Amino acid sequence: MLTFWRAAWAVFTKELKDALRDRRTLMVVFVTSVAMGPLVLVMMSALVDKLEKRAEARELVVVGIEAAPSLRNYLERQTYVVKAAPPDWEAQLKDSKLGDPVLVLPADFESGLAHGEAPRVDLVYSSANSRAQSGVGRVSRLIAGFSQEQAGLRLIARGVAPASLGAVQVDEHDVADSASRAAQLTSMLPYFVLMAVVYGALNAALDTTAGERERGSLEPLLATPASRHALVAGKWGAVFSIGLLIAVLSCLSFLPAQQMLRSESLAALFRFGWAEAVWFIGLLAPVAAALSALMMAIAIRCKTFKEAQANNTVVILAVSLMPMFGLFNQEGEAPWHLWLPPLAQSTLMNRVLKGTPIAWADAAPGVLICLLITAASIAFIGRQLARRAAQ
Amino acid sequence: MIELQALHKRFQTGRGRQAREVTAVDGLSFTARDGAITGLLGPNGAGKTTSLRMLVGLVTPDAGEIRVDGLSMAQDPQAVRARLGVLSDARGLYPRLSARENIVYHGRLHGVPDDLAQARCEHLANLLEMQPLLDRRTEGFSQGERMKTALARALVHDPANIVLDEPTNGLDVVATRALREALRTLRDETGKCIVFSTHIMQEVERLCDRVVVVAQGRHVAEGTVAELCALAGEDDFEDAFVRLAFGAAETC
Repeated sequence: MLTFWRAAWAVFTKELKDALRDRRTLMVVFVTSVAMGPLVLVMMSALVDKLEKRAEARELVVVGIEAAPSLRNYLERQTYVVKAAPPDWEAQLKDSKLGDPVLVLPADFESGLAHGEAPRVDLVYSSANSRAQSGVGRVSRLIAGFSQEQAGLRLIARGVAPASLGAVQVDEHDVADSASRAAQLTSMLPYFVLMAVVYGALNAALDTTAGERERGSLEPLLATPASRHALVAGKWGAVFSIGLLIAVLSCLSFLPAQQMLRSESLAALFRFGWAEAVWFIGLLAPVAAALSALMMAIAIRCKTFKEAQANNTVVILAVSLMPMFGLFNQEGEAPWHLWLPPLAQSTLMNRVLKGTPIAWADAAPGVLICLLITAASIAFIGRQLARRAAQ
Repeated sequence: MIELQALHKRFQTGRGRQAREVTAVDGLSFTARDGAITGLLGPNGAGKTTSLRMLVGLVTPDAGEIRVDGLSMAQDPQAVRARLGVLSDARGLYPRLSARENIVYHGRLHGVPDDLAQARCEHLANLLEMQPLLDRRTEGFSQGERMKTALARALVHDPANIVLDEPTNGLDVVATRALREALRTLRDETGKCIVFSTHIMQEVERLCDRVVVVAQGRHVAEGTVAELCALAGEDDFEDAFVRLAFGAAETC
């Protein structure tokens, strides 16, 4: 006698085998979702590394330094190396070929300084040249330091304590710990793993529903004594497993990627160990379940694979926009964020990256909503299956 | 044995103001005996496919009863489906699975143990002369090869009743002959009850023990080919069919 579980198991194993034989699609999914995250992370670390190197290089590009021996003296005392600007520095700045802002000194800098005339210097950069722009603050602070030193010397010469110029003193305190600082850079990680789940499950979700209709294999399937619910359970199980498999692979892919980080400070800040990976997978599992069921429910109404793909764009778009929500939302977390799947999980995954402990009460709403979506979608597919086969 | 009694089915087409009711099957009754091949013969749109879909349980009839080996479709659809082998007009295969995997998959869904399903697969491959196809993926199969695989899939659980919807559609002469031969073997050696629908006279003449003529969803005439010719008063079966099917439509 054919039981529910035997039929569901038969469907599950067949769908899994079928999906895993689709090598070309799996390869594309693997490259786009599993390899993409680590790749971007490594590329980003290379960028941070370059910026750090530039900051460490302590170089300053100046035009007309011959006219300013006292500034040169100050800069050299700050262990800066003064470099003369190339002749076409302005064009190079515009074309982003020059990676440093350029300090332009007037010819009468030294004499102006000696006469207390406050000579004007130009700090030239291009806001379209991000490399050069990132150095602007550093150079400004350097010049401000020189200016303060000169002013202090003048006050001392007149018998005034330099402290009288500083009515208020500012001490900066950064309360972000290293993990939360790194989370700024790594906040796109949840986005990558969520998209991996979507793209991992998408093909199987469409193939087991709309694909089955398009091939004309749904009708023979429904002519077997297997119950509709067993068929749907088996199909959903297979799609969910593939989505979860891709989620696990993409989470684990960040572990070796970590070793490849070039920036030492980023490597020190970015902590993605086994514990974080397990948290990620645990948070992603309910999302994978809900998304698989939802995409199947949308696809079962479509007669062809193509039509189903077009209809499922809505889901893909929604999921891809959710983590971006964090970018637009400057007001921090709101309680309702935890009730809206993708967003709830992406919020919690960011907490994991910041090293904040997660309470069960925070994780529960997202899981609950995911389970509701899964159950509703599966019930819907079960009802549609028989109706759609005859169309 | 398959019994259809006074089946009715109406479909709604269009929406809103353009909604229209179409009667697909209008009180169709017939009985198909064991050890015989019963042909359901009718022009396009006569309601053959709808009738067979109701018989399989894909479409619920508005009225009437379907019994297979005495079991009622309405009361125990699962038991009925287990006694039916169906080759519908949709005979899609899974292209990434081999023919054998396609066949065994349906065996599992019928609750056949794996080793038995494998044995049945070999047996059917011999019957349908498709041994070399078994372990090839079905991607790129010809129409004839697809039909053989789909038929083997429909018969994997050794059903007592076989239902085929226009099985020779798109088949060449060789494949058609092979199918005919296989159906005769199934009838003569295992005494199956076979029902198939077609609109091709030749099929019916060569194969059917009994013919049910259907037109506009109604049962028009029934009998052997010779009986139908006598009934219509024609020597040629094609002429007899036209007179029975379309003559009936005109008088209605």
